[in-house]
Amino acid sequence: MNTLLFRYVPGNSFLHRLDPRVKITGMMIVSISIFMSSSLRQLASVALIFFLLLLVSSISPKIIFDAVRPMLLFLAVILILQFFLMDGEPVFYIMGHDATYEGLRHGVLLTLRFLFLLMFASLLTATTTPSLVTVGMERMLRPLPLRKLGISSFDLATMVFLSLHFVPFLYGSFSHLRDAQISRGLDMRRNPFGAVYSLSVPMVRIAITSAEEVAVAMESRCYQGGHRSSLHAPVLQKKDLAALLAFSILVLALV
Amino acid sequence: MSIEVKDVTFRYAPGTPLETTALEGISLSINKGEFVLISGAIGSGKSTLIRHLNGLLRPSSGQVTVDGIAAHGKKVKAKVGVLFQFPHQQLFGRTVFEDVAFGPGNFGLRNPELEKHVHDALEMLGLSQGICPISPFSLSGGQKRLVAIAGVLASRPDYIVLDEPLSGLDVGHKKSLLSALQLLSSKGTSVVVVSHQVSDLLSVAQRVFLLDRGSLVFSGTPAEYVRHSPPSMPEINFLMKELRSRGFDVRDDAFGIDDAFSEITRVLGLKGAVEE
Repeated sequence: MNTLLFRYVPGNSFLHRLDPRVKITGMMIVSISIFMSSSLRQLASVALIFFLLLLVSSISPKIIFDAVRPMLLFLAVILILQFFLMDGEPVFYIMGHDATYEGLRHGVLLTLRFLFLLMFASLLTATTTPSLVTVGMERMLRPLPLRKLGISSFDLATMVFLSLHFVPFLYGSFSHLRDAQISRGLDMRRNPFGAVYSLSVPMVRIAITSAEEVAVAMESRCYQGGHRSSLHAPVLQKKDLAALLAFSILVLALV
Repeated sequence: MSIEVKDVTFRYAPGTPLETTALEGISLSINKGEFVLISGAIGSGKSTLIRHLNGLLRPSSGQVTVDGIAAHGKKVKAKVGVLFQFPHQQLFGRTVFEDVAFGPGNFGLRNPELEKHVHDALEMLGLSQGICPISPFSLSGGQKRLVAIAGVLASRPDYIVLDEPLSGLDVGHKKSLLSALQLLSSKGTSVVVVSHQVSDLLSVAQRVFLLDRGSLVFSGTPAEYVRHSPPSMPEINFLMKELRSRGFDVRDDAFGIDDAFSEITRVLGLKGAVEE
């Protein structure tokens, strides 16, 4: 099965070649600024930055859209709840609930924040191979005194890598399962309860069994979290640092 | 009354760098009551093709019709039952009965017919009625697969498509599944089995299609298939070919151990063994 959800898309753009640490730091800066932004004007700047990066990355917008699409329903629910449950100036009534202007504004801001976070995250995973994300993360965590907490930066990085790995995998299993149940006559619109039941029960089983299988496979190949060498050894170059600096200034200036 | 696949091409992720052509100009038809084998290496487009037969995927170009109706829509899903790979993963019911009844129930069948369909499907696969109140998760791997197959058979589709149904079954279960499928096809249900391992299936199939990297490269009878020297030829047929090339006058299109055995004993003049 071909899923485009948070998947690496091969390429050779500037963004692809950038050091993963720079991209992760950039992602953190952007996330913080997204959550600090409280006006539509600021989010418009975030959008501008996103489209600039998208242009540089030469990733097709369709890939970003595909990553966001499964979340759209969830975001719509957030928007509607905000619309009706915030106090403020009423716009109209439905079933004894006020739809307020403040609610709409707040809801739009909240959904846009989630949307942009997802879009930046999918841009990061689309331009960086999962193993490079892991290495970048591991290098960045290494100076922290994690060992005193009984965990190493390698453990953490492996956990992140596995989570990234599981997103497309679980999505693939889900599509496979959905195909099987639809073939057995499941009508998701007419029978939503049956849909949830017949999809979630097997999905939970698949998630647990495959996590266990991965754990067994890793252990049987002598996985140890202690210290692992890596296939990639990213070296920070001047252009990486320059890119990070330029990006930070851009974000600070605009947002 | 047939499934008609006309010049179907299908691409995954069109318009992205990950675009791949999974099927390229496939045309074939599956007639009523026919037992068809679709073979091909892993990644040759078999699973993509069967997702077109009941309209889960729509072709990028070309068309698929079932009994003259376009292949998407719920009507066709009741006509064409599909069993996918790893069918044990689709089980969810609290009891085996509930799970097997899911398909026919969705297609509008109610008791007492529903109960009869479920019991018939289980019986056809050699599963006892005592299995009905048990949780499907407590069964063994092979039994889970059979229950999942029963879940497709219980809807009594006109066409039944099975993706690698024999994997994970032991010899006994394989035999009972194959004879159940043969019985169905003799009663007028079309059976399409998709598999990259053909040795158990050539003796029961009436027609074979071979896919290679998304294209249909062969279609014909099992005997023609074996003479075509496909990459996945059963060991028996390698043996028969080798014997022929060394001057023994055996048929090179014998499938299965029994057939080959009687051929060899015939050529060697061991009459006693043939009568067995």
